[in-house]
Amino acid sequence: MSKLVKLGGARIYDPANGIDGEVRDLYLEDGRLVAPPRDGRPADQAFDLEGRVIMAGAIDLHTHIGGGKVNIARMMLPEDHATSLVSGERHPHAGCGHAAPATRTAGYRYAEMGYVACFEPAMLPANARQAHMEMADTPMVDKGAYVLLGNDDFLLRALRDKRASSFIRDYVAWTLNAAQALAIKVVNPGGINAFKFNQRKLDLDEQNSGYGVTPRDILLALANAVRELGLAHPLHIHGCNLGVPGNFETTLNTITALEGLRAHLTHVQFHSYGTEGDRKFSSGAAQIAEAVNRHHNISLDVGQIMFGRTVTESGDSMRQYAGSAFADPKKWVGMDIECDAGCGVVPFRYKNQNFVNALQWAIGLELFLQVDDPWRIFLTTDHPNGAPFTSYPHLIRLLMDKSFRNDMLATINPEAAAASTLAALDREYSLYEIAILTRAAPARSLGLDGFGSLAIGAAAHITVYRDDPDREKMFSTPELVFKNGQLIVREGRVVEEVWGTTHVVHPDYDRAIERELDHYFERYMTVRKDNQGLADDEIRDGGRGALQVHATRPA
Amino acid sequence: MAVACMDIANSNGVIQAGFHSVSDSQPHINNTTRCAPDAVVCPFCALLCDDLILAPKPDLSFTITRNGCRRASEDFARVPLANTPRVAGREVTLEVAVRAAARRLKRAYQPLFGGLATDVDGMRAALDLAESCGAILDHAHGETLAAMTRLLQTRGWYAATLSELRNRADMVLLVGVDLADRYENLSRRCLWPEHTLDEETLATRRIVYLGATPPGALVRACDSLKCSAAAVVDVLRAVLAVLKQQPLATTRAGGLAPNKIQALADSLRAARYSALVFAPAHLPAPRDPALALLCEIIDELNRSGRAALVPLGGDDGGQTAVSTCAWLTGYPLRIRHGLNIDYQPHSNATAKLLDGGGADTLLWIDAYGRLSDLPAQARVEDSIVLAASSNARSVSAAVFIPVGTPGLDHAARLVRTDAVVSLPLVAQRHSGLPAVATVLRAIAAAL
Repeated sequence: MSKLVKLGGARIYDPANGIDGEVRDLYLEDGRLVAPPRDGRPADQAFDLEGRVIMAGAIDLHTHIGGGKVNIARMMLPEDHATSLVSGERHPHAGCGHAAPATRTAGYRYAEMGYVACFEPAMLPANARQAHMEMADTPMVDKGAYVLLGNDDFLLRALRDKRASSFIRDYVAWTLNAAQALAIKVVNPGGINAFKFNQRKLDLDEQNSGYGVTPRDILLALANAVRELGLAHPLHIHGCNLGVPGNFETTLNTITALEGLRAHLTHVQFHSYGTEGDRKFSSGAAQIAEAVNRHHNISLDVGQIMFGRTVTESGDSMRQYAGSAFADPKKWVGMDIECDAGCGVVPFRYKNQNFVNALQWAIGLELFLQVDDPWRIFLTTDHPNGAPFTSYPHLIRLLMDKSFRNDMLATINPEAAAASTLAALDREYSLYEIAILTRAAPARSLGLDGFGSLAIGAAAHITVYRDDPDREKMFSTPELVFKNGQLIVREGRVVEEVWGTTHVVHPDYDRAIERELDHYFERYMTVRKDNQGLADDEIRDGGRGALQVHATRPA
Repeated sequence: MAVACMDIANSNGVIQAGFHSVSDSQPHINNTTRCAPDAVVCPFCALLCDDLILAPKPDLSFTITRNGCRRASEDFARVPLANTPRVAGREVTLEVAVRAAARRLKRAYQPLFGGLATDVDGMRAALDLAESCGAILDHAHGETLAAMTRLLQTRGWYAATLSELRNRADMVLLVGVDLADRYENLSRRCLWPEHTLDEETLATRRIVYLGATPPGALVRACDSLKCSAAAVVDVLRAVLAVLKQQPLATTRAGGLAPNKIQALADSLRAARYSALVFAPAHLPAPRDPALALLCEIIDELNRSGRAALVPLGGDDGGQTAVSTCAWLTGYPLRIRHGLNIDYQPHSNATAKLLDGGGADTLLWIDAYGRLSDLPAQARVEDSIVLAASSNARSVSAAVFIPVGTPGLDHAARLVRTDAVVSLPLVAQRHSGLPAVATVLRAIAAAL
């Protein structure tokens, strides 16, 4: 007989169901939340959680946890690991890594923070198999990936040749199937490809010299395909001009370029820069937030930076090439990849006394505090580009505790502090809002039924916190974490190693496109089409992995 | 994916597996389907050409009927080993051999897992076994792999993958690559393919060879700048100086006239996209100066134009071993794995450990059967060998277990030379030989 578990007496924060701090008992059975037993059946195990806070398991919708560039960072940075070794006594397997952790170490740490699902946002089709193998070796969490399009020569040729939107849609659907992805990502649309033709920048309406196609064309084509295919998650956009002063205008123009189509703008902090002031670097956060507040088709994640050492890993070879001048330590890797995309891996140190870095920090917080709708903004550091994901508890405290935030503001470069409006922003996030940002909203955005919710019937992914007024401490070390009803973390320590499910979509498409793709791969590429894609069984990987195919709702 | 295909066993008993699939011979993956034509991925070098056509022979070896190369022809022509494990030379069952290997590892003061010529699953199992017995891990090509790792960890590089080389480069400099030794198919697949995305790239493509072993007929229309292998580094230094408009240190670097150096530098500079193709294994040691110069030349070219390195290496599962070890442990091999991970890239080298007595038990893995033998320094009586070929030394090892070759005897996944693309390989015959992963997991269970 299945085991009935009772979590009694805690305050429940479950925005998916409008529950804001009510004291309720939760019951778990067979991996799901169940109604209280009517027959008076006693729980087989009961936790007295009076005074505790319960939220659904957290979800990170943008974190670089697997794939070639992540692995380059691991190999490149033994110094990152040397100070962050993890013994096999601390975790089920030994590991290491601060900004570029080993797969297992990343999985354990996420679980220890109460996370139950993580999504790799930049999986190249050509690298999909490796990304999935790395995610397969990431324990504890469920996972999924957004597959990169928009710099691949196949799509750019199709746009150049003005192929029908149905053709683009079929290609997007084939790619999602072949790469076993959950959503579509575009990085510097057309720009990575343009860099291969030696273009050093590509603005929204500038033509890629190889194909005469603009980023606007690419964004519209992909956003339309995503809409027509009925994917839950909108096109995930890393826009043009990342990190370039003045790029907030590009971001505003990108929002209007989308013509009302749903879109998710990622790590917007890096795309919110103005050119005011003596140093020609200023915050554009207010304008971006105002535009997001007006455009309900737009969601965003912030990509908050934190001070300290990290490594930036991006598909944006064009912008990473520009950023490589600031590598710290002085080494970096760039790549042009398989007529598909590119990558750049640049170690970096954000310094709180550096004007630009300090203002970046403030800009991220300004975005958090000025975007009104918590259902359309997600808590990320673009791990590890802004900071390792382990800094989330600190970030949560910055959002929830104005006096702590002001204390921190007083420690950064004073010119940057003066240039920021942060001191004037009084907003403090509530526990309910944090539960939206880290649970309910990402689950809804990704279409993950049963996640981010504590409704009867939902998957029993549950995090139990002590209600510590020091929110950093509270969110660092949950008391209990349940995944599918199983207790996996106790007092911030992994007590059970589990293996997650990979979340994908398999939208239908006209198979005729496969003939053209076969021909294309045979004629031009160095792998055949069928060797690029992954079978379902590769994800299941001998039974340790599992695959969940989510429904799509074609327009 | 909702494509219904059926398993096909053709009249020769060859498994044609895998629309996007890992084959059925791996016991845990049993849903094997394929719609694509029966081209095969070659596991015998890190190019992982995926268009070979095989003809099976009754002795379970193969003739390559299309798209092979000299080296692959030899490797596919090898008959699989008899499935007879041995303990101290005596034939035993697999179970007995596994138990003997476990006893050896349990007793060992410091085990070394060497060779590591296996696939992703083999490496996963090797890492888990290493963790449970505190073993050091190094690959048979550890020296060249470590040279690339040092380069990565000290300065990094700008590189391109094979399809980029094929489609983008209008100027290709082959730096010391000995195509008669390996990577012969580079010419057919990347240098002179029938088509490129932009046909003009192909029409204007120029190939130049620099070094001691010009490809001759293996690459058509290839200009050669012949110099000794040792002098390649001098020529690279001179090319960099010209690119940087600095005075040349010597008048005839590598015996080449200054106008030839100048012309080479000019060609690289004038190209829309230059690719510098090299194989660390073909560069004479010490490799670091030449590797650093290759990177610096690319950096210089990228200031105003476009260029990238194309490193060729990681054969015999080398790149697979490095990549898998990196994601699972954070480090690219040469670790001691146990309760803690200790990365010592200089001292955790096979030859050093065996020479200096730093390892007392060697677990040697050669699933491709291409590594000629156990390392010379290895004591046969203290070695456990998992191999796809045998000789007098290996069969008399403390434990000898014949294993299958990834992509011939069992399904596998391998990482290509560029560390980006990985290929699914499917079984081509029923030899009954176990996969390395299967054997290592059995040893771990017996520990």
